[in-house]
Amino acid sequence: MSDMTSEPVEDYLDRLLLTLPGSPRQVRQTLSEVEAHLHDAVAEGVGSGMTQHDAEVAAVSRIGPAYAITGRTPQFSRPAAALIRRTALAGSLVGGVALVAYWISAMISWILAAIRGGSFVTAPFPAGSYTQADCARWMAGDPSARNCVAAMTSDHVGDIVLQGFAAGVLGALALAAFWIMRYRWRDRGTLTALPMGSAEAVGAILAGLVAFAGIAVGLNIESGQQGHGAGQPFAIALAAFGAALFFVIRLYVSARKRVIAT
Amino acid sequence: MRSEKLKGNLDLLLLSVLSSGPGHGYSIITRLRERSAGAFDLPEGTVYPALHRLEQAGLLDSSWAEVAGRRRRIYRLNPAGERSLADEAREWTSFSSSVSMVLGR
Repeated sequence: MSDMTSEPVEDYLDRLLLTLPGSPRQVRQTLSEVEAHLHDAVAEGVGSGMTQHDAEVAAVSRIGPAYAITGRTPQFSRPAAALIRRTALAGSLVGGVALVAYWISAMISWILAAIRGGSFVTAPFPAGSYTQADCARWMAGDPSARNCVAAMTSDHVGDIVLQGFAAGVLGALALAAFWIMRYRWRDRGTLTALPMGSAEAVGAILAGLVAFAGIAVGLNIESGQQGHGAGQPFAIALAAFGAALFFVIRLYVSARKRVIAT
Repeated sequence: MRSEKLKGNLDLLLLSVLSSGPGHGYSIITRLRERSAGAFDLPEGTVYPALHRLEQAGLLDSSWAEVAGRRRRIYRLNPAGERSLADEAREWTSFSSSVSMVLGR
């Protein structure tokens, strides 16, 4: 027995709206087509003696599942799957920007090391904490270094640049994945699974916190360790501010679109 | 008829139905069912992605019109669709007669 209190056609159109892919215009047009189709089928059912509700149930049954119209799999249409997709989108955006920001911070560190010396970016190990073999290895890596400490800091700056490059590559891949997924998952269910701008808000807050922490650590090192190693936290803070600004601009743009839409 | 077989030939069937005149989604599925004497009875919603695909492929044109008090999208076969229908119908006839010969009927 069917539930007499439900509205089968309206419920079906709601489900379809959440899963239809494409531009807003394509979604509106397909929804309009399907709505007209269902009302025709209901009118035919009522004309043949069915009640309005039974005719609606029959019309929805005949048109088939929403995924037959969207061309998606049934799994794609589940709300939990939409939340997972939306979280993956947010994660790849925030993670991608964070990794690219780390790469930028490594580049800033490299520039700071060139201007103020390697020890400004990375504090040398205390004397006695490394061996002659370590020294020989660092000197081999930078034959132009005037002593073991200079070769050590040069080696550490090289590590920072290398790590930054690796992070940059990973970040570019994450952002590429974000753009591809965003293109493929344009259905309303995915886009509305989290509040609009939530990824940008989370990204801006995290980047802001990292920026302030970087400044605090840098200032602490500057005052307590004669500036040895302060450069990297300052570089991270600068890149994090850039990332926070990026997220704030995206948040502002999406908020403006929302205002225009309403 | 098994819906997989039907889906594999849906484009040809839709082009053929539209060769007899323009129509909206509901009328197309109704004509398809009538012309097949009820044999081609698939979930009605499946015609929409197929119609959109055929339009994107440049074989159909569509326009919006008010019919019986409802706004509907009317699909019509264009010259490219007519050529495609002729080609596909020829291929299908050849394939069908070959299968019949193998089956000895």
